[in-house]
Amino acid sequence: MSRKPDTQDGVVQRREFIKASAMAAAAAIAGGASFALPILADEPATGVDWQKAPCRFCGTGCHVQVGVQQGKVVAIAGDRNADVNKGLLCVKGYHVGAALYGKDRLTKPLLRDGDSYREISWQEAIRIIADRIQAAPERFAFYGSGQWTIPEGYAAQKFMKGGLSNNHIDPNARLCMASAVTGFLATYGVDEPAGCYDDLDACDVLIMWGNNPAEMHPVLFSRVIDRRSRGEKVTLIDIGTRRTRTTEACQHYLEMKGHGDLAIANGIAHLLIKNGTYDQKFVDSFCSFKAPDDANPNLHGKVISFAEYKTLLETYTPEHVEQLSGVPASQIRMLADLFGNRKLRITSLWCMGMNQHTRGTAINTMVHGIHLLSGHFGTPGNAPTSLTGQPSACGTVREVGTLSHALPGGLVVTDAENRTKAEEIWQVPPGRINSVPGHHTVKMWESFCTPTSEGGDIGTIWVQVTNPGQTLPNLNKLFNPKGDSKAGLEDKFLIVSDVYPTATTRLADLILPSAMWVEKNGMVGNSERRTQQWFKMVNPPGEARDDCWQTIAVAHELLTRGVEGMKDRNGQFLFEVKDADGGVVPIWEWEHYYDTNVDKHLFEEYRKFTRFKHKDLAPYGEYVKARGLRWPVVEHNGEWKETQFRFSEGSDPYVAAGKEIQFYHSSTHDDRAQIWFHPWIAPAEVPDAEFPLMLCTGRVLEHWHSGSMTRRIPELSRAMPRAYAELHPDDASSYGLKNGDRIRMESRRGSLEISVWIDGRGKPPKGTVFVPFFDETLLINDLTLDAVDPFSKQPDYKKAAVRISKVHA
Amino acid sequence: MIASLVVTLDCAVAGSSGVAKQIAQIPGVQLCEGESFSHRIPILIDSTDPDSLEETTRRLQSIVGVAFVDVVFVHFEDEPCDNVVAPIGKTTGQ
Repeated sequence: MSRKPDTQDGVVQRREFIKASAMAAAAAIAGGASFALPILADEPATGVDWQKAPCRFCGTGCHVQVGVQQGKVVAIAGDRNADVNKGLLCVKGYHVGAALYGKDRLTKPLLRDGDSYREISWQEAIRIIADRIQAAPERFAFYGSGQWTIPEGYAAQKFMKGGLSNNHIDPNARLCMASAVTGFLATYGVDEPAGCYDDLDACDVLIMWGNNPAEMHPVLFSRVIDRRSRGEKVTLIDIGTRRTRTTEACQHYLEMKGHGDLAIANGIAHLLIKNGTYDQKFVDSFCSFKAPDDANPNLHGKVISFAEYKTLLETYTPEHVEQLSGVPASQIRMLADLFGNRKLRITSLWCMGMNQHTRGTAINTMVHGIHLLSGHFGTPGNAPTSLTGQPSACGTVREVGTLSHALPGGLVVTDAENRTKAEEIWQVPPGRINSVPGHHTVKMWESFCTPTSEGGDIGTIWVQVTNPGQTLPNLNKLFNPKGDSKAGLEDKFLIVSDVYPTATTRLADLILPSAMWVEKNGMVGNSERRTQQWFKMVNPPGEARDDCWQTIAVAHELLTRGVEGMKDRNGQFLFEVKDADGGVVPIWEWEHYYDTNVDKHLFEEYRKFTRFKHKDLAPYGEYVKARGLRWPVVEHNGEWKETQFRFSEGSDPYVAAGKEIQFYHSSTHDDRAQIWFHPWIAPAEVPDAEFPLMLCTGRVLEHWHSGSMTRRIPELSRAMPRAYAELHPDDASSYGLKNGDRIRMESRRGSLEISVWIDGRGKPPKGTVFVPFFDETLLINDLTLDAVDPFSKQPDYKKAAVRISKVHA
Repeated sequence: MIASLVVTLDCAVAGSSGVAKQIAQIPGVQLCEGESFSHRIPILIDSTDPDSLEETTRRLQSIVGVAFVDVVFVHFEDEPCDNVVAPIGKTTGQ
């Protein structure tokens, strides 16, 4: 299979083969079929074993067909049987298989030894971790991500909260969708979208709020574009702070200033009421009104009347909104007219633009609010829908609850009844679960980077499946001090499980090589409540091992040392698994880990939690058969049926007959959703004379997140090799800059040198700059701000004041 | 650099040969031969210039009637690559 051409003819043949493959893939998409691309582009793959898996990258949840031959992934195809992507893939998806085969995969446990590392055994690595935990369990923290599979996250969650009585577990999803969570909770009393991707096939109007799906969720965006190009009338509206590839395809582009979305949402609500075009029947039947309780800030706020809501909105005239947001009053009226027309079906999409926002909870609730106020909710095409950036931000973080305040199934540690429910399922002694929330992400890392003598109460952090050394905001405060020998952090210990060296491993004390994607079993949950499953297809390289095994192995090591928390109330190991004959399977020993399906055992236990908030999951075997199922999945006449539209009669099995719409987890316990008023508030940092430009950060089509995988894929890396700073031509001119010039960019927190791209792929307005964060060699998060939303604790990566100067060669 | 893209056309111009001709005139671009596509046109870029993908995408988007451009596949072989992934150790040079 891996024959290399050794003649000029061979090179030509190879190039022609690659061209034919590339064209066939494009032709297959254009013609509506799928086509397998050889990931190594050597020659046609034959005799290949094909299996299904969700893509490793974003939160869309596209299914791929993975071709395996002789123990190696050799080809990737879009999965025609998948409802999410119908055989389509984006450029990252087509190359996902190559993410396994970067030349610098980590294959051995490595222990820091001065300025270098030495290889150690897994036995020693597990012992070192257990030593650190046993010495000070309350100073230990676990930092994961929305890339943890559901069983991995569940094991980590049970280990920490059910075993160590320690709530210092939080994910990187705190940095990307925590405000979406608090927005859903504040509005509906329960997390996650009511709608699904089917809304994209039914909507007449699609509004993207600070969202660039053309690059971040291209398969979903292409799905809508395809409708329009087939003659359907779909109006696309981009509300953003810079022109992107999404803008190019939209009929309307509303360019706003940072935090302009708060004013725009209020402006729409103001006009809906003033014009009498809000849906009074929907509001009277299904909604209540809320405003912030400034004396006691919390997610419940204070109840207000419709009249009070109307009064609070009175100042948000289109002209005033124009002043606050920069969007012309006429376009505010255009939006209000669209929402005021109930014949139209309107879907809103958002992602980081609304979530990475110091008023992220507020703007999330407000966009839900205008959908509720206008009655654009609950029928196909009418939905406020947040998208996620990671493959299991929903499935693992939000549903398994790997957050410092949460328990699986939407339960919380602060509620005694909730703790009892969890302790019952886990069979741990009453009182085992700590009632005090642990540190959220920013606080966790701030504490880790603060000397113990100064109150830094986190001494050890174990990082799995994420890269905080690149993705935390304000790295010079929250991560980089770990590498400073004068910072007084000698007693702090960083453990990192990963597949490649990263910006995080560079400061690690212990590095553990992990298996990734189809090198292990897995389950994830995508943006539309769809739970997906796959089986291990190939072996990981060297001594790389599953993250879930790593957690269980440490737990068992602690058990052997007599740590009481590793036992349940019956004296059994927390992660005990028995075979069909009742014998204990020693899954803590790597050679026995795959003697049974650990994922299945963990998932079936976790599944018991999912009924508390009506997020029911089906038995494991149903996911083996399907390309994912959207919860709640409920058995009906012997079949497991998924749910398209939550809270809607006829679709959601938990809505009572005759109710039409029922918000059955209403925070006011009356089946009503909450329409919130929040005032416009300026960003936490705004440009001034000293730092006159506003910095926004984000992603690009070719790279996923911090680029630790996509930068190892030569095709993607060469298509977008380095980060850049997008500038407006007028700003470039005023600084005497031309394309490719180097600039020094500084904020109050850090600086970097970077090349400028004028009139590039994205076009920021005057006074703003954009830098993508995928590039490990250009850490833009040295400059970003660590101010957080007061409720979600999510930072704002979209608004930081910076200055630039030309670097002369 | 070899890349394949799918150009999605607005319904008003789908099936017209005019847009296809404009696309074919872009240097380095090849249209798929022998098959008819209505609103989605598969194309291939074969170029020695690694920047040609960005430039070609931009030119495609500027053609009246082009609704969207999906990048499906990219491959680099002979072109130089100075992008070295980071080894363990600080790489930012700051």
